[in-house]
Amino acid sequence: MSLVILLAVVVLAGAVLSVQAAINGRLGESVGVLRSSLLTFVVGAVSTGLLILFFEPAHAVSLLDVPKWQLTGALFGVVYMMVMVGAVPVVGTAVATVAVIVGQLGMGMLIDNFGWLGNPAIELSSSRILAMVCLGLALVFMYRSSRRVG
Amino acid sequence: MQTLDEVSVGAPATKSGLRLLLLPLVILAGMGLSVEAGLLGPLGVQVGHLWATLSIFGVGSAILFLLLLFAGPQKGPALTDLPRWQLIGGFLGPMYVVVLTLATPHIGIAMTMIAILSGQVGKSVLIDHFGWFGATRKKVNAERWLALGLIVVALVLIARG
Repeated sequence: MSLVILLAVVVLAGAVLSVQAAINGRLGESVGVLRSSLLTFVVGAVSTGLLILFFEPAHAVSLLDVPKWQLTGALFGVVYMMVMVGAVPVVGTAVATVAVIVGQLGMGMLIDNFGWLGNPAIELSSSRILAMVCLGLALVFMYRSSRRVG
Repeated sequence: MQTLDEVSVGAPATKSGLRLLLLPLVILAGMGLSVEAGLLGPLGVQVGHLWATLSIFGVGSAILFLLLLFAGPQKGPALTDLPRWQLIGGFLGPMYVVVLTLATPHIGIAMTMIAILSGQVGKSVLIDHFGWFGATRKKVNAERWLALGLIVVALVLIARG
């Protein structure tokens, strides 16, 4: 798959995630974060299970064969959710969002640069650093505009 | 899963020493999201993208079920009492996770996160401006267009390597 198409798909996934968050936000208000998250995860597991049964080709390696630490990804997602539920009312939405993005990108760059967790190492090039700077500026503008409205 | 928009439902900020204590925790939580993405990519290559996705949703469901059972709120409306459209969010999550497992081995984790973020920002700016999906048309101010422009520049920089 070419890089441009792949990037477009990832951007689209971000948009889909945003729609999901809007729907789930409404749901969470009425039934609570735990219940709305459980629903999201159960529906996700069941629909992925169906897709696997009918469309996934057989693989030589199964989930049971890989080292157990490779299966811990979901724990980080759940911990993230719990931290946000507790922290957002205290630190505020804007600060929490920026802090999350800082953590995400910082850790992302570390994993990429050193090739941690079995990922291919991608050296921190000047264009990558420039991309980060652009994103940082974009965040500043986003929050200035949302503060003025709020 | 990472959902920035869900965060924006939160209450206004209060000033206290707790803020400084919580901030590193929030940054750590954000780092956890990249670790999650970092685990997913190699896992997807080994066992298949859908199986990797199932591991996230399967383990997540199990943990949340136990949390809800032993520590969750006792009362509240049942899920079956809610309008059905509010329940479809669960179908969208797997799309996101599958794309994560597909993309990270090729463009890296940091860049995947930037692309995801630009999708989130772009969606809100464009939907507001053009009133797509039945949203009320709002004028999008210059600062948000500038932000979107900068994010597109960032994406172009990544695409060029």
